[in-house]
Amino acid sequence: MGLSEHIVMRELDIPDIADFEVYRRHGGWEAYRYALTEKTPADIVQMVKESGLRGRGGAGFPTGIKWGFLPKGVYPRYLLCNCDESEPGTFNNHQIIDKNPHQLIEGVALSAYAIEAEVAYIYMRGEFAAAARTLERAIAQAYAAGFLGKKILGTDFNLDIYVHRGAGAYICGEETALMESLEGKIGQPRLKPPFPAVAGLYGKPTIINNVETLANVPRIVEKGVAWYRSHGTEKSPGTKCFSLSGHVNRPGNYELPFGVPLRELIESPEYGGGMKGGRPVKIIIPGGASAPWLTADHLDVPLDYESVAAAGSMLGSGAVIVLNDTVSAPHVAYKMDEFFKHESCGKCTPCREGTHWLVRVLHRMVEEGHATAADIDTLHSIYRQMAGNCFCLLGESAVMPIKSALALFPHEFEALVKQSSRHNGHHIPLMVHR
Amino acid sequence: MTLLETHQAEIEAIVARYASKRSAVLPLLYLAQDTYGYLTDEAIREVATILELPATDVYEVVGFYTLFYNRPVGTWVLQVCDDVPCCYCGAEELIAALKQTLGIHEDETTPDGMFTLQRVKCLAACDRAPVLQANLDYVYDVTPDRVQTLLNDLRSRAAEARKRGVSGRFAEDYEFTRDGRLVQIERFSPYRPREFVIEPPAQPATPPPSVAPEADAGLDRPDTRKASPL
Repeated sequence: MGLSEHIVMRELDIPDIADFEVYRRHGGWEAYRYALTEKTPADIVQMVKESGLRGRGGAGFPTGIKWGFLPKGVYPRYLLCNCDESEPGTFNNHQIIDKNPHQLIEGVALSAYAIEAEVAYIYMRGEFAAAARTLERAIAQAYAAGFLGKKILGTDFNLDIYVHRGAGAYICGEETALMESLEGKIGQPRLKPPFPAVAGLYGKPTIINNVETLANVPRIVEKGVAWYRSHGTEKSPGTKCFSLSGHVNRPGNYELPFGVPLRELIESPEYGGGMKGGRPVKIIIPGGASAPWLTADHLDVPLDYESVAAAGSMLGSGAVIVLNDTVSAPHVAYKMDEFFKHESCGKCTPCREGTHWLVRVLHRMVEEGHATAADIDTLHSIYRQMAGNCFCLLGESAVMPIKSALALFPHEFEALVKQSSRHNGHHIPLMVHR
Repeated sequence: MTLLETHQAEIEAIVARYASKRSAVLPLLYLAQDTYGYLTDEAIREVATILELPATDVYEVVGFYTLFYNRPVGTWVLQVCDDVPCCYCGAEELIAALKQTLGIHEDETTPDGMFTLQRVKCLAACDRAPVLQANLDYVYDVTPDRVQTLLNDLRSRAAEARKRGVSGRFAEDYEFTRDGRLVQIERFSPYRPREFVIEPPAQPATPPPSVAPEADAGLDRPDTRKASPL
């Protein structure tokens, strides 16, 4: 199931598309010009609604419907582009910006027009320092060409786009934490409701969309709803940039229509190219670190939101991590939860303490080789106390790796206990704090 | 000279982007960090004064975000991603090689003040593992055998690095070519398909022996587990 033309990763079809002139020659900025001069903002919202575009950041919420939540007649409004990509396994925003910055900027500009915002911020994680410079240069070109600024293309529409760099905090990808961070505070999430569409940045109506989502908008406006819906499935139209990593021969971003089977992504010589050294698949994490794990039994699951959910996991951000039989499941759970522990913002107790204790117990079991049978019960008990009790999704996500590992590979935890008792039955030292 | 005196135009341009002055705290801290080398108490108080904030609020921000350093760091801050999947694609071996070559542990600086080594969480470049950032310049495909080439190159650019600062405001990205040369990635370069090394299945394809679950869990290699998760 290939793709005749790329929607988001157009640099694969058009060399040098990062250059303003090349992008323009290939129809770039044309959808924006058409929208501003011939369509009302409401027309664009309607178009995006009908296209069925769903948020690519993880939740898969329909973008047009999100835009529709803005209260009527309340201004100013803000558009925020979420580029805080930092969950293990995700790396497509990075490529989109590095290789084709204008498509994202056009998407941001078009969407700002649709929701009637005159200021848009692109919130990038602090580590995307060079990519931020790429975007800033491209934005300067757009200003110079008259596509941004005041009274754009002779209309009454004004728009300023700014790049704002975070400073190393995964939690700032949570939409309310992102707004806190943009307001100059520490990135701790806010209570919802009120939702950002009602009271967001500086208390004003705000829309937050992911990079990949916004990069889709120019093509929807340019080519129309019917064309867009001819890709993907009925409920998940369009394409997805799957970020494939781990023990595959050809890790990378592959833009494919929704519904492509996992097996094809991993094994096709055009995409994953099979497993390194032909080793068997052991663990598949289909949607970034916060997705429940799948195994080799699930290779025929089609990659769309509904099918992956039916298989017991979630498509999330489309970051597919594939690990082979050399990894130990408790170790993978330990590394994943170490990530969540490090990134927990400390606001709520279940997440702050839960991730901490998960990592302490797992570190002792996995890295120090001291495990007791009671540890397994303790791990179950910790994640059960976290699930459903955390303030935001970060804590809920931290439950997934350990819960999956215990459910799918219980014998590996039991083996750790057995092995530990063989050489050390009497003394469990305190863990060295990392 | 205060920060406001040396960078007045830049600071005013940054503050003008936001409806609230406080929003400029992250960009101004980056600027202060590059000017003073790290965030000294004086630098933090200066940023607080410029933004009319209580100093405590700025200290809180500095403590929360990992890219701010409130103690001296080396000319080059090396940050290696050790998350899944990097840790299964050579990151642990890379960290071991860096520690050995530099003679330091994580979160330490070499005695000559050239390198600080840190483990960091996901750098969003999982397809180019093992990956690290040097003062937020990405360096892709850093296998342990390329460490010496990398360190030599960074040493030769130390003067430039001191001028640019550690906050990535002038960042560029680098990669290793297949033949082991370190090259800067051109901005606005055309897409070039990557070349992959395809690992063929091990020969001959004998049926896998039935292994006990203990062996399956990778527990037959306890002695090497701390150095490498594999």
